[in-house]
Amino acid sequence: MANAEPPKRLGPVVGLVIGLFVVLVFAVVLVPGLRELGADVVGIVDASYVRSALRFTVPIAFAGMGGIFAEKSGVINIGLEGLLIISAFTAIAVMWLLGDQGDAGRMLAMFGGVLASLLVTLLFAIICIEFKADQIIAGLAVWLIALGFAPFGSIIIWGTVNSDSVGSFDPLSIPLLSDLPYVGQVLFRATPPVYLMLLAVPFSWYLLNRTAFGKHLQASGEDPKTLDTAGVSVRKVRYAGVLLSGIYCGIGGAGLALNAGQFVGGGETITSGRGLIGLTTYLIANYNPVGAFLSAFFFAGLDALQLQIQRVPGIELSSTLIGIIPYVAVLIVLTFVGKTRMPESAGEHYESEE
Amino acid sequence: MNRADLERLLDRLVDATVLERVVISFASLLFAIVVGGVIVLLAGIPATCRDPAFVFAGREFCYDPIEMYLTLFEGAGAFGSLTNLGLTLQETSVLLFTGLSVAVAFRAGLFNIGTQGQMVLGALGSALTIVWVAPSLPENVVGTVVIVPLAVVVATVIGGLYGTLPGLMKAYADAHEVITTIMLNFVAMGIAFYLVRNHVGDTTTDSVQTTPIPDFARLPPTIDGTRFSILVLLFGLAAAIALYLLYERTVVGYDLRTSGLAPEAADYGGVNAKRNIVASMTLSGALGGIAGAMYVLMVHYRWETDMPPLGFDGIAVSILAGNNPLGVIPASLLFGALKGGSLQIDFALGVPPELVEVLRGLIILFVAMPEFFRMIGSYAGYGTDGGETDG
Repeated sequence: MANAEPPKRLGPVVGLVIGLFVVLVFAVVLVPGLRELGADVVGIVDASYVRSALRFTVPIAFAGMGGIFAEKSGVINIGLEGLLIISAFTAIAVMWLLGDQGDAGRMLAMFGGVLASLLVTLLFAIICIEFKADQIIAGLAVWLIALGFAPFGSIIIWGTVNSDSVGSFDPLSIPLLSDLPYVGQVLFRATPPVYLMLLAVPFSWYLLNRTAFGKHLQASGEDPKTLDTAGVSVRKVRYAGVLLSGIYCGIGGAGLALNAGQFVGGGETITSGRGLIGLTTYLIANYNPVGAFLSAFFFAGLDALQLQIQRVPGIELSSTLIGIIPYVAVLIVLTFVGKTRMPESAGEHYESEE
Repeated sequence: MNRADLERLLDRLVDATVLERVVISFASLLFAIVVGGVIVLLAGIPATCRDPAFVFAGREFCYDPIEMYLTLFEGAGAFGSLTNLGLTLQETSVLLFTGLSVAVAFRAGLFNIGTQGQMVLGALGSALTIVWVAPSLPENVVGTVVIVPLAVVVATVIGGLYGTLPGLMKAYADAHEVITTIMLNFVAMGIAFYLVRNHVGDTTTDSVQTTPIPDFARLPPTIDGTRFSILVLLFGLAAAIALYLLYERTVVGYDLRTSGLAPEAADYGGVNAKRNIVASMTLSGALGGIAGAMYVLMVHYRWETDMPPLGFDGIAVSILAGNNPLGVIPASLLFGALKGGSLQIDFALGVPPELVEVLRGLIILFVAMPEFFRMIGSYAGYGTDGGETDG
């Protein structure tokens, strides 16, 4: 992608979205029958819908925010999807081994997931940084290995590609705050992975934009030579960036599985492309963690429609068709929403001239 | 991927000799087999089995990797069983097309991860064509001669169009084809599932599938007791040779390659790079569609949800083949053998056949890091040098 291009051209897209919205509002008000339908659809957006959307946001947002660190450092990590799978599988396996130990056990399971993801990420980092592997192909390999290994492991442990049902995280109410109308229901009666995510968003933004480490990270992706000249090891910064993406994916994958209480290994597994949707979120948001979180929430909202739409009488839509909406949304966004300027040296190896 | 990336890729393609690529492929295979063996060995500890393969240090190991690999190759028909050989060749024949599909895109510097989706839709298109057209045809050779090519053409067109889509997105909107093709896989599976379950499927069963295709639309098995048809194998071999000639001997092939690898250079040379990117993806999708038709005509005799991941296997086949259409032939045979034998390791030893998918990923991983082997090579080289000096 040519670097001279303007980073974004959002104008026409915003116009299009607003235009569509206006048309929709007119149609709903004027066409008989649609008004009732409109009321039903609006009725979908209740506290429980937003809560499930937030739960669905966890893997996408963590993959997205983690991906930012890797790519900003100069290593494109397309293996985010595979890391989510590894972590989800490991977390459930640990849960199953531990038996029900309450939230402490679940946090331990989550830690196990993060550790597994971190281990695989370390291998990926070594392969990319030391052995100068093609990052895209190596990332793809990480995904495909996970796609094979997780169902393989599931059969070894549980006899089928899907795990037994283990306990899942219960919502944790924060005293007082959870009594707030609506907001309290949504934000302060959530599961631990959701809280972690809400904390990780400002943390990631701060880390990337306000710390020396963040500046090194950006320089490592944009202009490694200058960083090297300044006496900072590009290699170490890249390891840190990639490993951070592993930790994030670990939390995201374990959070996804422990929110569900099961690992599903059939087809594309329980993660179903959410790591790649995460990758899309930061491309849309131009590597801003806050923007990545918001777009993750948007895609997760579409994802959660599947659960909600069945509650609306009168809408005869197949849940399979609703299920593909997030993927179609990704395609539309990638096609019509501006070009993202990737870090100058992303995807390239850097040879230090010591 | 930015321009410097592409130039690096082009450099590497020029630098790497054919011999080097063959060595890297074999070494990758070897390493994947070793790592896969270790995984099986370790998986044998938590696994439950009636009689463990061996006991070491008080631990029961359910699986013996060497026995497992021997069983795998026996299951693949390596030791003379005709039915097993048929199974391997049947897998090989379909893999030829998915492997070529990925290779064609790779040749132009494009990653088509969407072969799976193109295959799913191609398979559905051919199955439905047969189910709908067959009743108006005579149930004899005439019917076969009409319906088989028709099914293949429909699958080719559908797969091709579905490949055009990410091609257009790549060429005109700069949307990365790895992401778009994976998303399109999900969309393809969703649409196919929806159509078959709600509209065009066999409504007499609970399974999400079409009605079976009639006997005269099924390709005649070449080996008794299997479904392998040599027609598909020959068709696949012909396609591989034709594509090799296209890329090595014709201007069109040269333009297709350069358009993806160095669009600016292609444009400068008076070639419409964008159009060629779309053409490469369309050709790639068409081959994926054909793979789907072959699956219906030879393997499953109907479309059913949860098709095997032959499209993803195609990625490994192509990468192992160095993206060379002729190299796809032995690589497909290898993967055909792995898939053919995987049933046997499950049946005889209880090793989950998903192991083959792990091997698939490992092979891709190792091929992706030629530097690793160069390092090992130079390390070994130094070792020999040292030995000589000592001696």
